[in-house]
Amino acid sequence: MSTFVLRWATPLVTLTCIGLMLLIVMNRDISFLRLDMSSLHSFKILFISLILEAFPFILLGVFASSLLQVFVSDRVIQQLAPKNPIAGVLFGSLLGILFPLCECGMIPVVRRLIHKGMPAYIGIVFILAGPILNPIVYTSTYTAFRSQPQIAYSRMGLAFAVTVVIGLLLYRFMRENPLKEIHSHRHAHHGYHHSDHHSHGQHHHDGGSARGNRMGSILAHASDEFFEMGKYLLFGALLTAFIQLAVSRETLLGIGEHPMLSNLFMMGFAFILSICSTSDAFVASSFNGTFNAGSLLAFLVFGAMIDFKNTLMLFSVFRAKIVLWIIALTFLLVLAGSYLFQYFFF
Amino acid sequence: MLVHHLLRGTILSGFAFLIVYLTKTDQLALYIAPRMATYVKLSAIGLYAASMYQFYLVFRIWSGSRTEPDCDCDHTPSPSLTKNTMIYGLFLLPLCLGFLLPNTIMDSTIAAKKGMSLNGAINIARPSEAKASGTGNSPSLADASPSNSTQGRAAPSPDDMFPSDVYTESYAAYAKKLYTQDLIEVSEKQFIEILTTLDLYREPFLGKQVALSGFVYREPEMSASRFALSRFAMNCCSADALPYGLMVTYPKAEKYKNDTWLKITGTLELSEYKGNPVLQLKAAELESIPAPDSPYVYPDYDFGS
Repeated sequence: MSTFVLRWATPLVTLTCIGLMLLIVMNRDISFLRLDMSSLHSFKILFISLILEAFPFILLGVFASSLLQVFVSDRVIQQLAPKNPIAGVLFGSLLGILFPLCECGMIPVVRRLIHKGMPAYIGIVFILAGPILNPIVYTSTYTAFRSQPQIAYSRMGLAFAVTVVIGLLLYRFMRENPLKEIHSHRHAHHGYHHSDHHSHGQHHHDGGSARGNRMGSILAHASDEFFEMGKYLLFGALLTAFIQLAVSRETLLGIGEHPMLSNLFMMGFAFILSICSTSDAFVASSFNGTFNAGSLLAFLVFGAMIDFKNTLMLFSVFRAKIVLWIIALTFLLVLAGSYLFQYFFF
Repeated sequence: MLVHHLLRGTILSGFAFLIVYLTKTDQLALYIAPRMATYVKLSAIGLYAASMYQFYLVFRIWSGSRTEPDCDCDHTPSPSLTKNTMIYGLFLLPLCLGFLLPNTIMDSTIAAKKGMSLNGAINIARPSEAKASGTGNSPSLADASPSNSTQGRAAPSPDDMFPSDVYTESYAAYAKKLYTQDLIEVSEKQFIEILTTLDLYREPFLGKQVALSGFVYREPEMSASRFALSRFAMNCCSADALPYGLMVTYPKAEKYKNDTWLKITGTLELSEYKGNPVLQLKAAELESIPAPDSPYVYPDYDFGS
């Protein structure tokens, strides 16, 4: 109980203080916090729709991760993963073309892959690049910005550049295992054991029970991981729904009007909104005209890589120090990149 | 351990049944766009399978044939009671909200937070250097016909009335079709596309008869004789939905409260709002209607392709 209080009290107090400071800055009173029926309904709609929207992706993620755990041995992963850092970074950033997953589905898979011996920097690059560098997101961005196809191109380009730089930096400077709590048990035997079965064709004899066990362990892993990841997803969705209702877009627009600040503002906005990278382009296009192309680009690239929902999930999987580094690097690189693109291309 | 599996099984099947319940009562569309609905329904199967496994473990432990699952992974839940209560509470909260609160549609409360889009469009961009926008993939004049409202008898309108570039070709073609109609009915299927086309070209459509349905929404800046008639345009889920509609002017506008659903026929005119020109519908006929079963509108992905 006391450790629980110690662990959660500080962050909660910090969050509350930030919220109150925002209110003071924006000259608002807390009257909007009153729980009238219509706000409760609105909250319910946003909260549940955020959860339902994420379910297919997170389930796909946890089932993919369980399949990896049960069927693919560590040795295979270690052999497949590129040894050369340049190749590794390129591999990680382009993996999204093969696996167009949302970020919430990606984190459990990457954690499993790193456990199984894939170099961690490749996994982190995949988490950052995957939600942007994939065909689905390209198409939706292109559709949303029909009259400005350069937005879609530069979204892909900037995302690629940022992830390559981050990947190389991580390769060079990240020495410790970035995963939280290194598990001391052996994951290996699952994979070897089952592949032996297959190679000797013995599953004909004890096929029933072996298959039953495998199905069982897939479901066991998947549901355990669903709860592990799900609690962060739900907490993120809860806060996102609350913020979307508490802070109106008009208020935000008031802050973001300054031209130099608009990139910063749009990145913050993307962080708060936490919408999936496949649909954020449509939201961004509704800001067209209010904000310049550079800040829309910042919104599109930063929001897909880092947002409220997936930050919580990152903290649950990776060490806090690494997560903070990743966020800081992404933030700076995207900010600089969006100014450069604004200057040279738009 | 038993309690954990029992709770987890209950929560997993709870979510599966929530999805089934929403689907059965046709309310899934209030949360998720149709193109996402299939995936959400599929995930109900996954959730259900996982929950059955949890119940199976409960049975195994209860009947004494196994005390611990044979997984060697360190997924053991935290021993802290408070923490567990909070975590399971977090999972139970959306279930309670989902099953106990009646399902409502997004209304002016959310519209006020999201910000109204009266001019320009949600899926169209109006670049500052040129008043232009259009379709991306394969703009073609011939296929841009709307499904229901026009019959493709496009009178040979002069091209200079609807100028276009490579990006706006399909909108120009659509504008020519709409221009031939005496009454432009803003259909649900192409709500966004029609309003976008009207707003893109504006002048040729002034004085045209337009009919559309939506809910009443007011911003504080609107005068007493004005309100916006709008629909929520959704791409993926409610979180990315934005209200989108037309400004309406009517002398006795106060009569209609926020969130009233109306079908309005009127004449298009050009007006000004917050210093920007906007299209405005001068209402002639107003008819109260019940909120439709599908209250939201979605981008027409076939438009212009």
